[in-house]
Amino acid sequence: MNGRLGVALAIAWLGAILVFALLAPLLSTHDPLQPVAAPLNGPSLSMPLGSDALGRDVWSRLAYGARLTLAAATLSTTLTVVIGSVLGLAAAASGGWTDRTIVAAANAALAIPGLVLAMLIVAAIGPSLTAVVLAVGLGAVPGFARLARTTFLQVRERAYVTASGALGAGRWWRARHHLLPNAWPSLASLTTTHFAWALLGITTLTFLGLAGDPSLPEWGAMLNSGRQHLLDAPRLALLPGLAIALTVLAVHRLGDRSAAGGSSGGSSG
Amino acid sequence: MLTAFVAVTLTFFALRLGGGDPTDSLMAQNLVAPEQLAAVRASLGLDQPLILQYASFLAGLLRLDLGVSLFNKRPVLTVIAEQLAPTLQLATAGLLMAILLGLGLGILSAWSRKRMAADGARWVSNLATGLPVALTGILAILLFSVTPLGHLPGMSLGWTRGLLLPALVLGFASAGAIARAVNTELTRSRSEPYMSAAAARGLQHGPRLLWHALRPALPLVISLCALQAAFLFAGTVVTETVFSRPGIGRLLVSSILQRDYPVAQGLVVLAALIYTLSQVVADSLALLVDPRLRGGS
Repeated sequence: MNGRLGVALAIAWLGAILVFALLAPLLSTHDPLQPVAAPLNGPSLSMPLGSDALGRDVWSRLAYGARLTLAAATLSTTLTVVIGSVLGLAAAASGGWTDRTIVAAANAALAIPGLVLAMLIVAAIGPSLTAVVLAVGLGAVPGFARLARTTFLQVRERAYVTASGALGAGRWWRARHHLLPNAWPSLASLTTTHFAWALLGITTLTFLGLAGDPSLPEWGAMLNSGRQHLLDAPRLALLPGLAIALTVLAVHRLGDRSAAGGSSGGSSG
Repeated sequence: MLTAFVAVTLTFFALRLGGGDPTDSLMAQNLVAPEQLAAVRASLGLDQPLILQYASFLAGLLRLDLGVSLFNKRPVLTVIAEQLAPTLQLATAGLLMAILLGLGLGILSAWSRKRMAADGARWVSNLATGLPVALTGILAILLFSVTPLGHLPGMSLGWTRGLLLPALVLGFASAGAIARAVNTELTRSRSEPYMSAAAARGLQHGPRLLWHALRPALPLVISLCALQAAFLFAGTVVTETVFSRPGIGRLLVSSILQRDYPVAQGLVVLAALIYTLSQVVADSLALLVDPRLRGGS
Protein backbone atom coordinates (compact mmCIF):
# COMPACT_ATOMS: atom_id res chain seq x y z
CA MET A 1 0.00 0.00 0.00
CA ASN A 2 1.52 3.34 -0.95
CA GLY A 3 2.34 6.09 1.48
CA ARG A 4 -0.53 8.52 1.86
CA LEU A 5 -3.42 6.14 1.29
CA GLY A 6 -1.95 3.61 3.70
CA VAL A 7 -1.53 6.18 6.46
CA ALA A 8 -5.05 7.53 5.89
CA LEU A 9 -6.53 4.03 6.08
CA ALA A 10 -4.51 3.26 9.21
CA ILE A 11 -5.73 6.42 10.95
CA ALA A 12 -9.32 5.69 9.87
CA TRP A 13 -9.19 2.14 11.22
CA LEU A 14 -7.60 3.15 14.53
CA GLY A 15 -10.13 5.97 14.93
CA ALA A 16 -13.00 3.58 14.30
CA ILE A 17 -11.63 1.06 16.81
CA LEU A 18 -11.19 3.80 19.39
CA VAL A 19 -14.81 4.92 18.95
CA PHE A 20 -15.85 1.28 19.20
CA ALA A 21 -13.92 0.92 22.46
CA LEU A 22 -15.21 4.14 24.02
CA LEU A 23 -18.84 3.71 22.98
CA ALA A 24 -19.08 -0.06 23.45
CA PRO A 25 -22.15 0.17 25.77
CA LEU A 26 -24.00 2.35 23.23
CA LEU A 27 -23.00 0.43 20.11
CA SER A 28 -23.60 -3.05 21.45
CA THR A 29 -27.10 -4.42 20.99
CA HIS A 30 -27.00 -7.22 23.56
CA ASP A 31 -25.27 -8.24 26.77
CA PRO A 32 -21.85 -9.60 25.69
CA LEU A 33 -21.79 -12.16 28.50
CA GLN A 34 -25.32 -13.64 28.37
CA PRO A 35 -26.76 -16.09 25.84
CA VAL A 36 -29.44 -14.22 23.89
CA ALA A 37 -30.14 -16.55 20.96
CA ALA A 38 -29.70 -20.12 19.74
CA PRO A 39 -26.03 -21.10 19.42
CA LEU A 40 -24.24 -20.54 16.10
CA ASN A 41 -27.06 -18.50 14.51
CA GLY A 42 -26.11 -16.90 11.22
CA PRO A 43 -26.20 -13.14 10.70
CA SER A 44 -29.68 -11.60 11.01
CA LEU A 45 -31.22 -8.14 11.23
CA SER A 46 -31.17 -7.95 15.03
CA MET A 47 -27.79 -9.67 15.29
CA PRO A 48 -25.71 -8.52 12.28
CA LEU A 49 -22.83 -10.90 13.01
CA GLY A 50 -24.82 -13.81 14.40
CA SER A 51 -24.30 -15.63 17.68
CA ASP A 52 -21.39 -17.68 18.99
CA ALA A 53 -21.25 -21.25 20.27
CA LEU A 54 -22.98 -20.26 23.51
CA GLY A 55 -25.61 -18.05 21.82
CA ARG A 56 -23.98 -14.74 22.71
CA ASP A 57 -24.11 -11.79 20.31
CA VAL A 58 -20.85 -11.63 18.31
CA TRP A 59 -21.21 -7.93 17.42
CA SER A 60 -21.54 -6.87 21.07
CA ARG A 61 -18.66 -9.12 22.10
CA LEU A 62 -16.43 -7.59 19.42
CA ALA A 63 -17.34 -4.07 20.59
CA TYR A 64 -16.57 -4.85 24.25
CA GLY A 65 -13.54 -6.78 23.00
CA ALA A 66 -12.15 -3.59 21.46
CA ARG A 67 -12.47 -1.91 24.85
CA LEU A 68 -10.86 -4.73 26.83
CA THR A 69 -8.09 -5.47 24.31
CA LEU A 70 -7.08 -1.84 23.73
CA ALA A 71 -7.20 -1.04 27.44
CA ALA A 72 -5.01 -4.06 28.21
CA ALA A 73 -2.49 -3.15 25.52
CA THR A 74 -2.42 0.51 26.61
CA LEU A 75 -1.91 -0.37 30.27
CA SER A 76 0.89 -2.80 29.59
CA THR A 77 2.57 -0.39 27.15
CA THR A 78 2.46 2.34 29.81
CA LEU A 79 4.05 -0.02 32.31
CA THR A 80 6.86 -0.91 29.90
CA VAL A 81 7.53 2.62 28.72
CA VAL A 82 7.55 4.23 32.18
CA ILE A 83 9.73 1.63 33.90
CA GLY A 84 11.92 1.12 30.81
CA SER A 85 12.52 4.85 30.31
CA VAL A 86 13.32 5.44 33.99
CA LEU A 87 15.85 2.58 33.96
CA GLY A 88 17.28 3.73 30.62
CA LEU A 89 17.59 7.32 31.85
CA ALA A 90 19.18 6.22 35.12
CA ALA A 91 21.72 4.12 33.23
CA ALA A 92 22.53 6.79 30.64
CA ALA A 93 22.68 9.71 33.08
CA SER A 94 24.71 8.11 35.86
CA GLY A 95 27.12 5.90 33.92
CA GLY A 96 29.66 3.87 35.87
CA TRP A 97 28.54 0.85 37.81
CA THR A 98 24.82 1.79 37.84
CA ASP A 99 24.95 1.74 34.06
CA ARG A 100 26.86 -1.55 33.98
CA THR A 101 24.45 -3.24 36.42
CA ILE A 102 21.35 -2.16 34.51
CA VAL A 103 22.78 -3.22 31.15
CA ALA A 104 23.94 -6.59 32.52
CA ALA A 105 20.54 -7.27 34.10
CA ALA A 106 18.73 -6.31 30.90
CA ASN A 107 20.97 -8.53 28.78
CA ALA A 108 20.44 -11.47 31.09
CA ALA A 109 16.67 -11.07 31.01
CA LEU A 110 16.83 -10.77 27.23
CA ALA A 111 18.24 -14.31 27.03
CA ILE A 112 14.65 -15.36 27.65
CA PRO A 113 12.51 -14.46 24.62
CA GLY A 114 10.04 -11.66 25.49
CA LEU A 115 6.95 -13.82 25.15
CA VAL A 116 8.42 -16.67 27.20
CA LEU A 117 9.45 -14.17 29.89
CA ALA A 118 5.85 -12.94 29.90
CA MET A 119 4.59 -16.52 30.24
CA LEU A 120 7.00 -17.02 33.14
CA ILE A 121 5.47 -14.01 34.90
CA VAL A 122 1.96 -15.39 34.32
CA ALA A 123 3.18 -18.66 35.80
CA ALA A 124 4.42 -16.80 38.88
CA ILE A 125 1.23 -14.78 39.44
CA GLY A 126 -1.32 -17.30 38.24
CA PRO A 127 -3.48 -17.06 35.08
CA SER A 128 -5.78 -14.00 34.81
CA LEU A 129 -6.19 -11.00 32.50
CA THR A 130 -4.44 -8.76 35.06
CA ALA A 131 -1.53 -11.21 35.12
CA VAL A 132 -1.36 -11.11 31.32
CA VAL A 133 -1.26 -7.28 31.30
CA LEU A 134 1.45 -7.22 33.99
CA ALA A 135 3.40 -10.00 32.28
CA VAL A 136 3.45 -8.43 28.83
CA GLY A 137 4.28 -5.05 30.40
CA LEU A 138 7.09 -6.27 32.64
CA GLY A 139 8.33 -8.86 30.13
CA ALA A 140 9.21 -6.13 27.65
CA VAL A 141 10.97 -3.84 30.17
CA PRO A 142 14.51 -5.21 29.58
CA GLY A 143 14.32 -4.70 25.82
CA PHE A 144 12.75 -1.27 26.12
CA ALA A 145 15.20 -0.13 28.80
CA ARG A 146 18.10 -1.02 26.52
CA LEU A 147 16.60 0.86 23.57
CA ALA A 148 15.79 3.87 25.78
CA ARG A 149 19.34 3.90 27.17
CA THR A 150 20.77 3.99 23.63
CA THR A 151 18.45 6.87 22.78
CA PHE A 152 19.48 8.86 25.88
CA LEU A 153 23.17 8.14 25.23
CA GLN A 154 22.84 9.56 21.72
CA VAL A 155 21.48 12.79 23.17
CA ARG A 156 24.14 12.86 25.89
CA GLU A 157 26.91 12.92 23.26
CA ARG A 158 25.59 16.12 21.67
CA ALA A 159 27.73 19.22 22.06
CA TYR A 160 25.21 21.33 23.99
CA VAL A 161 24.93 18.68 26.70
CA THR A 162 28.71 18.58 27.08
CA ALA A 163 28.69 22.38 27.12
CA SER A 164 26.09 22.56 29.89
CA GLY A 165 28.19 20.07 31.85
CA ALA A 166 31.22 22.32 31.41
CA LEU A 167 29.14 25.25 32.67
CA GLY A 168 28.56 23.35 35.89
CA ALA A 169 25.17 21.72 35.34
CA GLY A 170 24.81 18.56 37.39
CA ARG A 171 24.14 15.11 36.04
CA TRP A 172 20.48 15.01 37.04
CA TRP A 173 19.83 18.60 35.96
CA ARG A 174 21.11 17.62 32.52
CA ALA A 175 19.00 14.45 32.57
CA ARG A 176 15.86 16.44 33.28
CA HIS A 177 16.45 19.49 31.09
CA HIS A 178 18.38 18.02 28.16
CA LEU A 179 18.13 14.24 27.89
CA LEU A 180 14.43 13.80 28.59
CA PRO A 181 12.99 16.56 26.35
CA ASN A 182 15.36 15.89 23.46
CA ALA A 183 14.99 12.12 23.50
CA TRP A 184 11.21 12.48 23.55
CA PRO A 185 10.54 12.22 19.78
CA SER A 186 12.55 8.97 19.50
CA LEU A 187 10.89 7.59 22.62
CA ALA A 188 7.45 8.38 21.24
CA SER A 189 8.24 6.45 18.06
CA LEU A 190 9.59 3.52 20.11
CA THR A 191 6.36 3.61 22.12
CA THR A 192 4.23 3.37 18.99
CA THR A 193 6.12 0.32 17.73
CA HIS A 194 5.95 -1.17 21.18
CA PHE A 195 2.19 -0.75 21.41
CA ALA A 196 1.79 -3.05 18.40
CA TRP A 197 4.06 -5.61 20.06
CA ALA A 198 2.11 -5.39 23.32
CA LEU A 199 -1.20 -5.89 21.51
CA LEU A 200 0.19 -8.98 19.75
CA GLY A 201 1.67 -10.26 23.01
CA ILE A 202 -1.52 -9.83 25.00
CA THR A 203 -3.76 -11.43 22.39
CA THR A 204 -1.26 -14.27 22.02
CA LEU A 205 -1.30 -15.03 25.75
CA THR A 206 -5.07 -14.77 25.98
CA PHE A 207 -5.29 -16.95 22.85
CA LEU A 208 -3.29 -19.57 24.74
CA GLY A 209 -5.86 -19.44 27.52
CA LEU A 210 -3.57 -17.70 30.03
CA ALA A 211 -6.23 -15.11 30.92
CA GLY A 212 -7.96 -17.88 32.84
CA ASP A 213 -11.59 -17.03 32.06
CA PRO A 214 -12.52 -18.19 28.51
CA SER A 215 -15.82 -16.25 28.51
CA LEU A 216 -14.05 -12.85 28.53
CA PRO A 217 -15.04 -10.72 25.53
CA GLU A 218 -11.40 -10.17 24.54
CA TRP A 219 -10.16 -10.60 20.96
CA GLY A 220 -7.46 -13.19 21.70
CA ALA A 221 -9.75 -15.31 23.87
CA MET A 222 -12.52 -15.03 21.24
CA LEU A 223 -10.08 -16.15 18.54
CA ASN A 224 -9.28 -19.20 20.64
CA SER A 225 -12.84 -20.22 21.40
CA GLY A 226 -13.81 -19.61 17.75
CA ARG A 227 -11.34 -22.27 16.71
CA GLN A 228 -13.69 -25.06 17.77
CA HIS A 229 -16.15 -24.04 15.04
CA LEU A 230 -13.71 -23.24 12.28
CA LEU A 231 -15.59 -25.25 9.67
CA ASP A 232 -19.23 -24.54 10.53
CA ALA A 233 -18.85 -20.88 11.62
CA PRO A 234 -15.44 -19.54 10.52
CA ARG A 235 -16.46 -15.92 11.29
CA LEU A 236 -16.21 -16.66 15.03
CA ALA A 237 -12.42 -16.98 14.72
CA LEU A 238 -11.84 -14.79 11.66
CA LEU A 239 -13.50 -11.59 12.92
CA PRO A 240 -11.49 -11.17 16.14
CA GLY A 241 -8.37 -12.39 14.30
CA LEU A 242 -8.79 -9.77 11.59
CA ALA A 243 -9.50 -7.09 14.19
CA ILE A 244 -6.17 -7.87 15.90
CA ALA A 245 -4.26 -8.05 12.62
CA LEU A 246 -5.67 -4.81 11.19
CA THR A 247 -4.99 -2.92 14.42
CA VAL A 248 -1.38 -4.16 14.59
CA LEU A 249 -0.79 -3.38 10.90
CA ALA A 250 -2.29 0.10 11.29
CA VAL A 251 -0.08 0.89 14.29
CA HIS A 252 2.96 -0.42 12.38
CA ARG A 253 2.09 1.87 9.49
CA LEU A 254 1.94 4.93 11.77
CA GLY A 255 5.14 3.81 13.53
CA ASP A 256 7.02 3.56 10.22
CA ARG A 257 5.78 7.00 9.38
CA SER A 258 6.87 8.63 12.64
CA ALA A 259 10.18 6.77 12.74
CA ALA A 260 11.45 8.64 9.68
CA GLY A 261 15.03 8.60 10.90
CA GLY A 262 14.62 6.75 14.17
CA SER A 263 15.23 3.13 15.00
CA SER A 264 12.82 0.38 14.14
CA GLY A 265 12.22 -3.20 15.10
CA GLY A 266 10.74 -2.58 18.53
CA SER A 267 11.60 -4.81 21.43
CA SER A 268 10.51 -8.06 19.86
CA GLY A 269 13.66 -9.80 21.11
CA MET B 1 27.39 -18.33 30.14
CA LEU B 2 26.99 -15.68 32.84
CA THR B 3 23.95 -14.43 30.96
CA ALA B 4 22.37 -17.88 31.01
CA PHE B 5 23.11 -18.19 34.74
CA VAL B 6 21.45 -14.88 35.60
CA ALA B 7 18.45 -15.86 33.48
CA VAL B 8 18.16 -19.15 35.34
CA THR B 9 18.36 -17.37 38.71
CA LEU B 10 15.72 -14.89 37.60
CA THR B 11 13.43 -17.77 36.63
CA PHE B 12 13.87 -19.50 39.97
CA PHE B 13 13.10 -16.47 42.10
CA ALA B 14 10.26 -15.19 39.88
CA LEU B 15 8.44 -18.48 40.34
CA ARG B 16 9.13 -18.73 44.09
CA LEU B 17 8.41 -15.13 45.04
CA GLY B 18 5.43 -14.69 42.73
CA GLY B 19 3.18 -15.89 45.50
CA GLY B 20 1.03 -18.95 45.19
CA ASP B 21 2.14 -22.25 46.59
CA PRO B 22 2.21 -25.15 44.11
CA THR B 23 0.54 -27.34 46.71
CA ASP B 24 -2.53 -25.05 46.62
CA SER B 25 -3.34 -26.19 43.11
CA LEU B 26 -2.57 -29.82 44.02
CA MET B 27 -5.10 -29.50 46.82
CA ALA B 28 -7.64 -27.79 44.57
CA GLN B 29 -7.44 -30.67 42.12
CA ASN B 30 -7.84 -33.19 44.95
CA LEU B 31 -4.48 -34.72 44.21
CA VAL B 32 -3.36 -34.23 47.80
CA ALA B 33 -5.42 -34.64 50.95
CA PRO B 34 -5.05 -31.92 53.64
CA GLU B 35 -3.49 -34.34 56.15
CA GLN B 36 -0.78 -35.31 53.64
CA LEU B 37 0.11 -31.68 52.98
CA ALA B 38 3.09 -31.42 55.31
CA ALA B 39 4.57 -34.67 54.03
CA VAL B 40 4.16 -33.61 50.39
CA ARG B 41 5.72 -30.22 51.09
CA ALA B 42 8.66 -31.93 52.75
CA SER B 43 9.11 -34.34 49.85
CA LEU B 44 9.17 -31.42 47.39
CA GLY B 45 11.64 -29.54 49.58
CA LEU B 46 9.20 -26.65 49.98
CA ASP B 47 9.60 -26.57 53.76
CA GLN B 48 13.21 -25.47 53.51
CA PRO B 49 14.41 -21.86 53.43
CA LEU B 50 14.43 -20.30 49.97
CA ILE B 51 18.20 -20.00 49.81
CA LEU B 52 18.62 -23.74 50.48
CA GLN B 53 16.04 -24.54 47.80
CA TYR B 54 18.03 -22.34 45.41
CA ALA B 55 21.28 -24.09 46.30
CA SER B 56 19.84 -27.53 45.73
CA PHE B 57 18.27 -26.33 42.47
CA LEU B 58 21.67 -25.14 41.22
CA ALA B 59 23.37 -28.34 42.37
CA GLY B 60 20.73 -30.33 40.50
CA LEU B 61 21.21 -28.22 37.39
CA LEU B 62 24.91 -29.10 37.31
CA ARG B 63 23.96 -32.78 37.33
CA LEU B 64 21.36 -32.06 34.61
CA ASP B 65 18.69 -32.84 37.19
CA LEU B 66 15.76 -30.45 36.89
CA GLY B 67 13.63 -32.03 39.58
CA VAL B 68 10.37 -33.93 39.18
CA SER B 69 7.01 -32.83 37.84
CA LEU B 70 4.59 -31.96 40.63
CA PHE B 71 1.81 -33.88 38.93
CA ASN B 72 3.07 -37.19 37.67
CA LYS B 73 6.27 -37.29 39.75
CA ARG B 74 8.34 -38.07 36.67
CA PRO B 75 11.73 -36.39 36.11
CA VAL B 76 11.34 -33.03 34.35
CA LEU B 77 14.14 -33.86 31.93
CA THR B 78 12.30 -36.99 30.75
CA VAL B 79 9.00 -35.12 30.39
CA ILE B 80 10.70 -32.44 28.28
CA ALA B 81 12.76 -34.92 26.24
CA GLU B 82 9.61 -36.82 25.24
CA GLN B 83 8.10 -33.68 23.74
CA LEU B 84 11.29 -32.29 22.25
CA ALA B 85 11.42 -34.17 18.92
CA PRO B 86 8.21 -32.80 17.34
CA THR B 87 9.11 -29.25 18.40
CA LEU B 88 12.64 -29.55 17.02
CA GLN B 89 11.23 -30.77 13.70
CA LEU B 90 8.76 -27.90 13.58
CA ALA B 91 11.32 -25.26 14.62
CA THR B 92 13.96 -26.46 12.14
CA ALA B 93 11.48 -26.60 9.27
CA GLY B 94 10.10 -23.23 10.35
CA LEU B 95 13.55 -21.61 10.44
CA LEU B 96 14.27 -23.00 6.97
CA MET B 97 11.01 -21.54 5.67
CA ALA B 98 11.76 -18.21 7.36
CA ILE B 99 15.18 -17.99 5.69
CA LEU B 100 13.88 -19.04 2.26
CA LEU B 101 10.86 -16.72 2.39
CA GLY B 102 12.85 -13.88 3.97
CA LEU B 103 15.67 -14.01 1.42
CA GLY B 104 13.21 -14.40 -1.44
CA LEU B 105 11.00 -11.49 -0.40
CA GLY B 106 13.97 -9.29 0.51
CA ILE B 107 15.78 -9.86 -2.78
CA LEU B 108 12.58 -9.39 -4.75
CA SER B 109 11.77 -6.09 -3.05
CA ALA B 110 15.28 -4.63 -3.45
CA TRP B 111 16.30 -6.14 -6.73
CA SER B 112 13.27 -6.59 -8.96
CA ARG B 113 13.12 -4.17 -11.87
CA LYS B 114 9.36 -4.55 -11.97
CA ARG B 115 7.83 -1.98 -9.67
CA MET B 116 4.79 -4.17 -9.01
CA ALA B 117 6.82 -7.17 -7.90
CA ALA B 118 8.99 -5.07 -5.60
CA ASP B 119 6.00 -3.33 -3.99
CA GLY B 120 4.16 -6.62 -3.67
CA ALA B 121 7.12 -8.26 -1.93
CA ARG B 122 7.42 -5.33 0.48
CA TRP B 123 3.72 -5.50 1.20
CA VAL B 124 3.84 -9.22 1.93
CA SER B 125 6.80 -8.82 4.29
CA ASN B 126 5.01 -6.02 6.16
CA LEU B 127 2.02 -8.31 6.43
CA ALA B 128 4.23 -11.09 7.80
CA THR B 129 5.41 -8.98 10.74
CA GLY B 130 1.91 -7.77 11.58
CA LEU B 131 -0.26 -10.86 11.32
CA PRO B 132 -0.60 -12.88 14.52
CA VAL B 133 0.55 -16.50 14.14
CA ALA B 134 -2.83 -17.63 15.45
CA LEU B 135 -4.62 -15.92 12.55
CA THR B 136 -2.27 -17.12 9.78
CA GLY B 137 -2.55 -20.63 11.21
CA ILE B 138 -6.33 -20.53 11.15
CA LEU B 139 -6.35 -19.07 7.63
CA ALA B 140 -4.01 -21.84 6.47
CA ILE B 141 -6.20 -24.54 7.99
CA LEU B 142 -9.32 -23.02 6.40
CA LEU B 143 -7.60 -22.69 3.05
CA PHE B 144 -6.62 -26.33 3.00
CA SER B 145 -9.81 -27.80 4.40
CA VAL B 146 -12.43 -25.74 2.57
CA THR B 147 -10.89 -25.03 -0.84
CA PRO B 148 -9.89 -27.71 -3.39
CA LEU B 149 -6.26 -26.93 -2.48
CA GLY B 150 -6.46 -29.57 0.22
CA HIS B 151 -7.44 -32.25 -2.25
CA LEU B 152 -4.48 -31.78 -4.56
CA PRO B 153 -2.49 -34.99 -4.98
CA GLY B 154 0.07 -35.21 -2.19
CA MET B 155 -1.66 -32.62 -0.05
CA SER B 156 -3.51 -35.17 2.02
CA LEU B 157 -0.31 -36.92 3.08
CA GLY B 158 0.30 -36.85 6.79
CA TRP B 159 3.53 -34.90 6.74
CA THR B 160 2.21 -32.06 4.55
CA ARG B 161 -0.62 -31.35 6.94
CA GLY B 162 1.43 -32.27 9.96
CA LEU B 163 4.68 -30.46 9.26
CA LEU B 164 4.73 -28.44 6.04
CA LEU B 165 1.73 -26.25 6.82
CA PRO B 166 2.70 -25.48 10.45
CA ALA B 167 6.29 -24.81 9.36
CA LEU B 168 5.08 -22.44 6.65
CA VAL B 169 2.91 -20.56 9.14
CA LEU B 170 5.72 -20.40 11.71
CA GLY B 171 8.33 -19.39 9.13
CA PHE B 172 6.13 -16.71 7.61
CA ALA B 173 5.99 -14.88 10.95
CA SER B 174 9.79 -14.58 11.08
CA ALA B 175 10.28 -14.00 7.36
CA GLY B 176 9.15 -10.36 7.54
CA ALA B 177 12.03 -9.19 9.73
CA ILE B 178 14.59 -11.08 7.63
CA ALA B 179 13.14 -9.72 4.38
CA ARG B 180 13.32 -6.17 5.73
CA ALA B 181 16.99 -6.55 6.70
CA VAL B 182 17.91 -8.11 3.35
CA ASN B 183 16.09 -5.32 1.54
CA THR B 184 17.87 -2.57 3.50
CA GLU B 185 21.30 -4.13 3.11
CA LEU B 186 20.89 -4.80 -0.61
CA THR B 187 19.66 -1.29 -1.26
CA ARG B 188 22.63 0.12 0.61
CA SER B 189 25.25 -2.08 -1.01
CA ARG B 190 23.96 -1.12 -4.45
CA SER B 191 25.58 2.32 -4.16
CA GLU B 192 28.91 0.99 -2.86
CA PRO B 193 32.00 1.44 -5.07
CA TYR B 194 32.58 -2.32 -5.33
CA MET B 195 29.25 -2.67 -7.10
CA SER B 196 30.24 -0.09 -9.74
CA ALA B 197 33.56 -1.90 -10.06
CA ALA B 198 31.79 -5.21 -10.57
CA ALA B 199 29.51 -3.66 -13.18
CA ALA B 200 32.53 -2.12 -14.90
CA ARG B 201 34.15 -5.54 -15.06
CA GLY B 202 31.12 -6.66 -17.05
CA LEU B 203 28.94 -8.40 -14.43
CA GLN B 204 25.40 -8.20 -15.68
CA HIS B 205 22.29 -7.60 -13.59
CA GLY B 206 21.87 -11.25 -12.69
CA PRO B 207 22.66 -13.94 -10.17
CA ARG B 208 26.40 -13.24 -10.12
CA LEU B 209 25.96 -9.55 -9.45
CA LEU B 210 23.31 -10.37 -6.84
CA TRP B 211 25.75 -12.64 -4.98
CA HIS B 212 28.27 -9.82 -5.12
CA ALA B 213 25.80 -7.51 -3.39
CA LEU B 214 24.40 -10.08 -1.02
CA ARG B 215 27.61 -11.43 0.48
CA PRO B 216 28.52 -8.38 2.58
CA ALA B 217 24.96 -8.38 3.94
CA LEU B 218 25.10 -11.98 5.14
CA PRO B 219 26.58 -11.45 8.66
CA LEU B 220 23.68 -9.21 9.61
CA VAL B 221 21.18 -11.64 8.14
CA ILE B 222 22.77 -14.52 10.04
CA SER B 223 22.66 -12.75 13.40
CA LEU B 224 19.05 -11.81 12.69
CA CYS B 225 18.25 -15.46 11.99
CA ALA B 226 19.79 -16.36 15.36
CA LEU B 227 17.49 -13.85 17.03
CA GLN B 228 14.59 -15.36 15.12
CA ALA B 229 15.62 -18.82 16.32
CA ALA B 230 14.91 -17.69 19.86
CA PHE B 231 11.70 -16.04 18.68
CA LEU B 232 10.68 -19.30 16.99
CA PHE B 233 10.62 -20.95 20.39
CA ALA B 234 7.80 -18.61 21.36
CA GLY B 235 6.19 -19.01 17.94
CA THR B 236 6.06 -22.79 18.27
CA VAL B 237 3.87 -22.39 21.36
CA VAL B 238 1.10 -20.82 19.27
CA THR B 239 1.68 -22.96 16.18
CA GLU B 240 1.44 -26.15 18.22
CA THR B 241 -1.80 -24.96 19.81
CA VAL B 242 -3.38 -23.98 16.49
CA PHE B 243 -2.43 -27.20 14.71
CA SER B 244 -2.96 -29.39 17.81
CA ARG B 245 0.58 -30.73 17.55
CA PRO B 246 2.35 -32.24 20.53
CA GLY B 247 5.51 -30.44 21.67
CA ILE B 248 7.23 -28.42 24.34
CA GLY B 249 5.23 -25.31 23.51
CA ARG B 250 2.00 -26.91 24.61
CA LEU B 251 3.84 -28.45 27.54
CA LEU B 252 4.82 -24.94 28.65
CA VAL B 253 1.23 -23.69 28.47
CA SER B 254 -0.20 -26.67 30.34
CA SER B 255 2.53 -26.52 33.00
CA ILE B 256 1.70 -22.84 33.61
CA LEU B 257 -2.04 -23.49 33.80
CA GLN B 258 -1.45 -26.38 36.22
CA ARG B 259 1.23 -24.44 38.11
CA ASP B 260 3.68 -27.27 37.62
CA TYR B 261 6.70 -25.10 38.54
CA PRO B 262 9.54 -27.58 37.95
CA VAL B 263 8.41 -28.23 34.36
CA ALA B 264 7.83 -24.54 33.53
CA GLN B 265 11.19 -23.69 35.09
CA GLY B 266 12.97 -26.39 33.09
CA LEU B 267 11.43 -25.11 29.84
CA VAL B 268 12.45 -21.50 30.50
CA VAL B 269 15.99 -22.66 31.31
CA LEU B 270 15.95 -24.54 27.99
CA ALA B 271 14.79 -21.40 26.14
CA ALA B 272 17.63 -19.36 27.67
CA LEU B 273 20.15 -22.04 26.71
CA ILE B 274 18.85 -22.19 23.13
CA TYR B 275 19.13 -18.41 22.88
CA THR B 276 22.71 -18.35 24.21
CA LEU B 277 23.74 -21.23 21.94
CA SER B 278 22.20 -19.70 18.83
CA GLN B 279 24.14 -16.47 19.51
CA VAL B 280 27.39 -18.42 19.67
CA VAL B 281 26.61 -20.36 16.49
CA ALA B 282 25.63 -17.15 14.69
CA ASP B 283 28.86 -15.42 15.70
CA SER B 284 31.03 -18.25 14.40
CA LEU B 285 28.97 -18.53 11.21
CA ALA B 286 29.39 -14.81 10.62
CA LEU B 287 33.17 -15.21 11.01
CA LEU B 288 33.07 -17.99 8.45
CA VAL B 289 31.17 -15.95 5.86
CA ASP B 290 32.71 -12.52 6.31
CA PRO B 291 36.50 -12.18 6.08
CA ARG B 292 36.27 -8.55 7.27
CA LEU B 293 35.38 -9.75 10.76
CA ARG B 294 38.34 -12.13 10.98
CA GLY B 295 41.23 -9.69 10.54
CA GLY B 296 40.68 -7.04 13.22
CA SER B 297 40.70 -8.53 16.68
